[in-house]
Amino acid sequence: MTDPLALDPILPARERSERSARPWNEELPHDERYQLFEAHVLGGGKIEPNDWMPDEYRTAVLRFVEMHANSELMGVLPEREWIMRAPTLRRKLALTSKVQDEVGHAQLLYRVAEDLGKPREAMFDDLLAGKTKFHNVFHYPTRTWADIGIIAWLVDAAAIVAQQALRDSSYGPYARTMQKICWEESVHIMHGRDVVLTLANGTPSQRAMVQEALDRWWGPLMQMHGPRSDRTKDRDLHWRIKAKTSEELRQEFLTIYVPRILEMGLTIPDPELRFDAEAGEWRYADPDWAELRAVVTNHGPKSEERLEFRRLNRAATAWVREAILAAPEAAA
Amino acid sequence: MTTRALDASTQAALADFLLSMADDEFVIGYSDSEWTGIAPILEEDVAISSIAQDELGHARALYELLAGLLDDGRDADAIAYDREPEAYRHAPLLDHGRGDWADTMARRFLYDTADTARLGAIGGGWPPLAELVAKIRREERYHVMHVTLWAERLARAGGDARARFVAALEALAPDAPSVLAAPEGEAALLEAGILVRPMAATVDEWRADVARILGPLGISLALGSGAAPRPTRTTASADFRWLWGEFTSVRRSEVGATW
Repeated sequence: MTDPLALDPILPARERSERSARPWNEELPHDERYQLFEAHVLGGGKIEPNDWMPDEYRTAVLRFVEMHANSELMGVLPEREWIMRAPTLRRKLALTSKVQDEVGHAQLLYRVAEDLGKPREAMFDDLLAGKTKFHNVFHYPTRTWADIGIIAWLVDAAAIVAQQALRDSSYGPYARTMQKICWEESVHIMHGRDVVLTLANGTPSQRAMVQEALDRWWGPLMQMHGPRSDRTKDRDLHWRIKAKTSEELRQEFLTIYVPRILEMGLTIPDPELRFDAEAGEWRYADPDWAELRAVVTNHGPKSEERLEFRRLNRAATAWVREAILAAPEAAA
Repeated sequence: MTTRALDASTQAALADFLLSMADDEFVIGYSDSEWTGIAPILEEDVAISSIAQDELGHARALYELLAGLLDDGRDADAIAYDREPEAYRHAPLLDHGRGDWADTMARRFLYDTADTARLGAIGGGWPPLAELVAKIRREERYHVMHVTLWAERLARAGGDARARFVAALEALAPDAPSVLAAPEGEAALLEAGILVRPMAATVDEWRADVARILGPLGISLALGSGAAPRPTRTTASADFRWLWGEFTSVRRSEVGATW
């Protein structure tokens, strides 16, 4: 298990040198091609945008990356509300930079998705029409400054556990993008931890504020990776688009972060939470999966408000895109 | 910090000048950061956020210099955040709300060009400021390049985009020279070599610079003539009071706490 704060930003040698023969790109009967493609992927090889790929693979990668991009874009909004309220120059700079990173991640990921054949505007259309999704944690309100600490520390930590596993995705452009994203996310975790630590060591009302934030975010955090799933039936795992199941990710998150949360003097709001040494895994109260289903289908407490905010903003700035994406009038 | 001994009137003039510059950078940095996450294009979102961070970084460095100079127990944060709205000294050009993208680019254009001229007027009379200015000027060059590109794109797009941009420039033009109004103790700053020329000369240079960029775009702005009238820097607008309410809200919720 890797500590998210000890990431290696360098591409593995295998990935850099992998430009060997790609026999499935030759004109071959479909089934033969498919088998060569699959052997390459299952053997740990990377797929590049110009490679031939089965439609099912293209669709699966696109769906996965698009949801990730949507989540980065929508994930900007809860924290953005606090950029104007950050209480010191240092926090102001750190939070602006953090949210800027998330926007940058959205941009990088939409570019990866665009290469798979779906234009950026079409992805915005689908997101704002509720046809595509974004992660559950970005459907909730941010009520206090402590939320900024808890999001940057624990939401980003839960995300990074999943994202580290994606640095080895079979889709090359996604894997490489995740290298950069994971590196930046690890900086966010340090920023979030520092905000939480400052509050936890602060006045009684600051301590109460951070505990209250943890109490509210714990449920969504435990739901974030999704319900337990059957490894053998997961196509994204089969094609190594992703590497770990929901439960593996949740267990990893708990193993790293439960001790750190407790060290901070905070209480985790789950009386059933304990490590079962015999089974070698964490036991916890069953997350509210009905809530997760409702939230990710845009029935969360802030889903509609945030989508509407994006719709209004997109309409209000449309004139700028029209102006600069058109050919200049006088310059020609 | 080791600084050359300044007499009391020069020190007071320098403190006033530093506070005005720091507040300018602080307020425009805040206004720009309002676009973080909602700029018209993702690529531009990243750019405007970087610019906002540069400005806030400059503000912080200037407040730190001021804190060292005043040595009255306040740190940069206390100076930046713990004042009543009336005590902020930013130029009236920056006392407007964020507005739309045309307003933002017009404000940036007028401020960046004026700020460049102002930085160029600062000499080596007080080394800590001269060293900081050298660093700030390296970053501000890119801000001017960025906003000049936007000015050209919006102006040359014609139609609605040009009309919005020109209207925004015209609306802000009367307030623009306020950035280069002569500071209270200008004579003392000139005497000490902290300024190398009076603001009246600097404002002429800035007007020529603006005309050089906007002229080819067919835009002519009325930016006054002669020395810029000294504005009243103490009447905070309703827009600024909103901004102040936001940026002090967490800090005021637990006065004296560490954040």
